[in-house]
Amino acid sequence: MAAPLEAYRRLQEAARPVWEAVARPERPLFRVAVATCTRAAGADETLAALREELSRRGAEADVLIVGCPGLCFADPVVDVHLPGLPRVLYGRVTADQVPRLLDAVLGEARVLPELALGVVLYEEERMEGYRGTPVEGLPDLAQSDWMRLQVRRLMANVGHVGAEEIDHYIARGGYEGLAKALSMTPEEVIKEVLDSGLWGRGGAAFPTGRKWDFLRQARGSPKYLICNADEGDPGAFVNRSLMEGDPHLLIEGMLIAAWATGASYGYIYIRDEYPLPVERMRKAVEQARERGLLGENVLGSGLSCDLEVVRGAGSYVCGEETGLISSLEDVRGMPKIRPPYPAQAGVFAKPTNVNNVESYANVPLILRHGAGWYASVGSERNKGTKMFSLSGQVQRVGVLEVPLGTPVRDVIMVAGGGPPEGRKLKGLQPGGPLSGVAPASRILAQDGLPLEPEPFREIGMLMGAGGLVVLDDSSCVVDLALYFEWFAEDESCGRCTTCFGGTRRLQEMLRRISEGGGRPEDVPLMRLLPDAMRNANCAHGQAAPTIILSLLDLFQDELQEHLVRKRCPAKACRGLVRYEVVAQDEALPRAADICPTQAIVKEDGSYRIDQARCIRCNACKEVAPQAIAVLDRFAEQA
Amino acid sequence: MGLTSRHSSRFTPIDFIADDTGLVARVQALLDDVEPDRAQMLEALHRIQHELGYVPKEAIPFLAAKFKTTPAMIYGVLTFYSEIRTEPPPRVEVQWCSGPACLLKGSRNIRLALEAEFGCGMNESAPDGALGLRLVQCDGTCHLAPLVRLNGRYIGPLTVTDAIQLARRLKEEARRA
Ligand SMILES: Cc1cc2nc3c(=O)[nH]c(=O)nc-3n(C[C@H](O)[C@H](O)[C@H](O)COP(=O)(O)O)c2cc1C
Ligand code: SF4
Ligand code: SF4
Ligand code: FES
Repeated sequence: MAAPLEAYRRLQEAARPVWEAVARPERPLFRVAVATCTRAAGADETLAALREELSRRGAEADVLIVGCPGLCFADPVVDVHLPGLPRVLYGRVTADQVPRLLDAVLGEARVLPELALGVVLYEEERMEGYRGTPVEGLPDLAQSDWMRLQVRRLMANVGHVGAEEIDHYIARGGYEGLAKALSMTPEEVIKEVLDSGLWGRGGAAFPTGRKWDFLRQARGSPKYLICNADEGDPGAFVNRSLMEGDPHLLIEGMLIAAWATGASYGYIYIRDEYPLPVERMRKAVEQARERGLLGENVLGSGLSCDLEVVRGAGSYVCGEETGLISSLEDVRGMPKIRPPYPAQAGVFAKPTNVNNVESYANVPLILRHGAGWYASVGSERNKGTKMFSLSGQVQRVGVLEVPLGTPVRDVIMVAGGGPPEGRKLKGLQPGGPLSGVAPASRILAQDGLPLEPEPFREIGMLMGAGGLVVLDDSSCVVDLALYFEWFAEDESCGRCTTCFGGTRRLQEMLRRISEGGGRPEDVPLMRLLPDAMRNANCAHGQAAPTIILSLLDLFQDELQEHLVRKRCPAKACRGLVRYEVVAQDEALPRAADICPTQAIVKEDGSYRIDQARCIRCNACKEVAPQAIAVLDRFAEQA
Repeated sequence: MGLTSRHSSRFTPIDFIADDTGLVARVQALLDDVEPDRAQMLEALHRIQHELGYVPKEAIPFLAAKFKTTPAMIYGVLTFYSEIRTEPPPRVEVQWCSGPACLLKGSRNIRLALEAEFGCGMNESAPDGALGLRLVQCDGTCHLAPLVRLNGRYIGPLTVTDAIQLARRLKEEARRA
């Protein structure tokens, strides 16, 4: 056996007992998902309550911190594994629910059906004959609407292994892909990655193997790797979820890249908004170093490579690869002018390869199982799986992993449960500010709009890096476009007038339209600007008007309503609505009380709204839904 | 504050930086092990902000010397990043998520109401300086949209009414404090 594989087997032997104790626990094991999303819903308090309650009861049990298994809609989640029984995932386990949960699972009942989301079966357990014998009456989670479209490869460990436990990762086959790669030549590794068909998950969909080959052939040393974990697209949180739940997958992928390209140092650049991933990745890097997986002579192979985690400071364009490089060089994070490309002169003017978190994370699986296995799921044109974060006006918000080519319709309507009760699907905003909006008619078409780059390109959009923001009929695309142009201007680095000036002009126009000042000539003008903006230096400015083109081409009717009839059909543009008292009822005094501008005044015994004061915040309507109506501002007075 | 004008060289030796308030000495201690040329600027800024709550302008000449660059370049970096503050934060700060999921669920109404209640705009402090509003980006906690963050806690999904009541409670607490 080659030296790296032998060294790896020894590591794995040592790790196995640690994992065994968790995989087949002899006393109750509570997996608590501690991630940014679960924490927001109170997971820290749940964890503290669980520990306290267990010790108060003197219960013999273990607690393991894991990543978020993606069911954010049910946060905080706790997975309970009782010896000899299949695991059960519980949702909405806030701290106050902990005593109740423990009463049930440690008592006679053994389950708490009210909070149970379903039975969790991993391959190991399925093979051991648990299949078909879930805990009395509980559904198999894998068959639920949320899970059944999913193929979890990247996420196989997330929520399963300890988020800070390298031994769990190794025992489950982690770092085997690295050991295999180290027993191959760099050319062979690159060929394997090319054969898998893997392309970059950060947005541009460039073949990962080809990028690596550029760096391998580049002259100059040292060579650098960068992992782009900036994940700045609002509504995208897949990289975060992976780093929090399975940090070693990324490290292993970067090490394989180091071997394939000849790089000797790597930066993992994580956005400021992600303190927990920074913490988890730093810890994982340390653990990998302790095991001889990072640093000098990795697994006795002669590869020397180290990694460092850098925390960003709040800038969207630092996700653009040359902006990121500037940021690492300790200057303003402004995207650079290309050429030279990063492979020729990247960070510190040295040859550099930049990949997204998910791109690197796919590689260990490709090396471990082979390119053929990898390409066994996906569509005709695109192989493998992709993680997506589903959010917005949809019933279930969370993170999923589906084969490329899965219809987005199914992701929204089946996994997500569709729009909220009583609402209709209006569209989808995928992949952040540069990618446009797809209308419901396209999503609900025969093919369901497959999640892969080509169908999105055909309608002038980008699939993006994983964010899927769902719109229902209470949203307005003019309003959304205004938001994204604001975002684009706010985040513009300021180098190109076409970018910061173009986004500003678009905002001015949209703002005017959303206040009733639209003019017919706005349409040709809105078409002209994107042409000029294509001359911007980087994709930020070039693609910022994509949503304008969606508005012009895919949502014309809505735009026309705003322009010609000066009304917002969804009543989302504040400049086009007014609040009026339409009936006097007993809720009005409370409405007057809640109004932040004292705009609801009482005259001659009846209430009315002083339009000069009203800021149209909707608070009164929440309190007095019958008495207050939202009317079109420019319609006849009621 | 600042560079001594006697020095015309591009880099100021650290000894020549005035430090009337002792701030620079504190910053210097924080950055002992930080090396220039090693992608450590952001780390340095985070450490300072973590300790002081913001990066004071008084630290600029020191940082310039430390990183072998000019004060102008440091100023450029400081002002580029939205999460680096150059002014002390208000005592209580409501952080309003500007992301798309929150937007679709009515966050703009919440923003208007908060601004009206506090009497200040986004990224400003109320006249008495105790309360402030800050715009933040989505961090993928959209299951709680629309939300605000307060002292690291997430509050959501919020109605406009909830937001107004929260603001009034905070104002009341600030008044009593
Ligand atoms: C404004 C802007 C922001 C970007 N943000 C990210 C990001 O947050 N994460 C990311 O991986 N790629 C981002 N990209 C794409 C990167 O420039 C680059 O293409 C990517 O990191 C390459 O990795 P990949 O080949 O693995 O996809 C962004 C691009 C632009 C223009
Ligand atoms: S397009 Fe915008 S973000 Fe990109 S370099 Fe130009 S100004 Fe900067
Ligand atoms: S919409 Fe807001 S500002 Fe206007 S009357 Fe109602 S509560 Fe007051
Ligand atoms: S949009 Fe507010 S948390 Fe995602």
